[in-house]
Amino acid sequence: MNDNIAIRVENICKSFGDGDSFIEVIKDASFTINKGELAALVAPSGTGKTVLLMMIGCVNEPDSGEMWIGTEKVFDNRWLTKETRKIRREKIGFIFQAHHLIPFLNIINNLILLPQTNKTDEKTSKAEARKLLHYFGIADKEKAMPSQLSGGQNQRVAIARALINNPQIILADEPTAALDTQRSVDVMKILKKIALEQEVAIIMVTHDDRMLPYCDRIMKIEDKKIVFV
Amino acid sequence: MIHLAKEDIKHTLGKFVVTAMGVGMLLGIVLIMMGVYRGMIVDVEVLLNDLDVDLWIVQEGTLGPFAEASRVHEDLQYTIESLQGVDNSSAITFQNIQLPQGKSKVRVFAVGYDVYGGINPINPARLVTGRTLATDHYEIVVTDKTGFTLHDKIQLGRNIYTVVGVTHGSVSSGGDLLVYISLKDAQELQFSYSNKRIQTDRARGIITRDTHMVNAVIATVKPGNNVENVAGEIRKWHHKSVYTKAQQHAVLTKYVVEKSSKQIGLFTAILIIVATIIISLIIYTMTLEKMKEISIMKLIGLPNSTIVRMIVEETLLLGILAFMFGNIFSHLIYPKFPKRVVLEIPDAWMLFGMVVVASIVASFIAVKKVINADPAAAIGD
Repeated sequence: MNDNIAIRVENICKSFGDGDSFIEVIKDASFTINKGELAALVAPSGTGKTVLLMMIGCVNEPDSGEMWIGTEKVFDNRWLTKETRKIRREKIGFIFQAHHLIPFLNIINNLILLPQTNKTDEKTSKAEARKLLHYFGIADKEKAMPSQLSGGQNQRVAIARALINNPQIILADEPTAALDTQRSVDVMKILKKIALEQEVAIIMVTHDDRMLPYCDRIMKIEDKKIVFV
Repeated sequence: MIHLAKEDIKHTLGKFVVTAMGVGMLLGIVLIMMGVYRGMIVDVEVLLNDLDVDLWIVQEGTLGPFAEASRVHEDLQYTIESLQGVDNSSAITFQNIQLPQGKSKVRVFAVGYDVYGGINPINPARLVTGRTLATDHYEIVVTDKTGFTLHDKIQLGRNIYTVVGVTHGSVSSGGDLLVYISLKDAQELQFSYSNKRIQTDRARGIITRDTHMVNAVIATVKPGNNVENVAGEIRKWHHKSVYTKAQQHAVLTKYVVEKSSKQIGLFTAILIIVATIIISLIIYTMTLEKMKEISIMKLIGLPNSTIVRMIVEETLLLGILAFMFGNIFSHLIYPKFPKRVVLEIPDAWMLFGMVVVASIVASFIAVKKVINADPAAAIGD
């Protein structure tokens, strides 16, 4: 197994319903994303982007296939662990269309929630959170509530939250959809930068063609399969 | 570890406190209901303890004088007093009357007793001013809550009575305020009719009427004598029902307040169920408002236990805060109740236990909602 691989998917399939309502959404999809790569997943609505994202994010179970995160095989026609939530907590970061920060936690607490769940002590997790806030230029906002920050600032906090546990892959679901062009470009630059600097693979669902130049690879879903453009 | 419940409550503190105050008022009413029940039990014992007699001799076959109407002849007291083992005996009457006070009337329970007899029903410890009755006529001792003061004049029947003493905390078994008048006055009040009624009675041939009736004869037993034996003798030879103090107490609690206490107990139970449902609905609504955040927490990998703990802690805190508000509320309003309300610490602790259990039960539906929440719901908008 190549140490440079962040995620490897082999022949995963996903279908819903049965009889007349049977729909096959993903069929024998295979791809590999290396560490440090920013990959875009582009496809029209209803072709299974979110389904694919939920499968590689260990949220929804594929019907069949194999999947590795880093060197660890996590799926082989079934989850190889009951603790898929632990895999998400330790190996995967999520960025959403909206920032989806916890509204009743201030910025620093939003960041340290996951490390503390992973039993990292408060001092270490706060130091790591402050480093990230500084990296994203919002170090002075650690005591602020999400409602007190702008959309762009909140999205940067959300990216910081996705990074705080040093994940191997980040799954981003249209992270620029709620932002204006300038802020979208800023976010793309940040994603590109962290992919390279943190050696993390980023898979980003997007409908915005203007963001594609920032991506290393572009994946499409065609005939229920993944193809690279 | 971040205390999620604390942070969430801090974020919506005002709403949380107001909600707790609302539930607290409901719990306060539960405490008041318990206090009303305790008050009834205390009230039942006041007159019985103030009289502190060994025997109650009443009309044969009745549970009189509190649980059932009882009439015996006044002179029975002399027969009883002459019995071996009896120390003192006295005839006594009980009746509800309305005392005129300005334009309104005050309902009281009048105790008529033999002023010159050996048993005085007025507990000296309760007398706050004045004295007990000294003459056979037109004197009255009242309880302070009636609103009358020393030397006030009260029109009763055809006569005017003077307040010669004021007591505190004297109530009947039914919770009515007690007043004390002489036995002769009590009989006069009970049996004196208007001139028109007397004329009508005479036209019907009813010329005489026996006013020398009382509701009971009470007696004390000389030290060294067995109360049950003396009671047995009276039952055997004088065809009367006789109750010891303990039996009279049992009659009062069983026949006079049992139904009321059951009613209050049922009402209290219903209130606790209502409080549980309300807490449950509040927590469920609070959880529904957070479903998006809960889905996100589950998606990013927070275990169910962390989220469930937040819900249960918030429910418990709501219950505890409501309990505290309930205590404050009940202690503020209980003196305004017309009848005795006794708030006891063990009752408060019992309610606390119920609130804790109710809160945990109340959080079940919300917890179920959390466990079933779909983390994929975080993806989308």
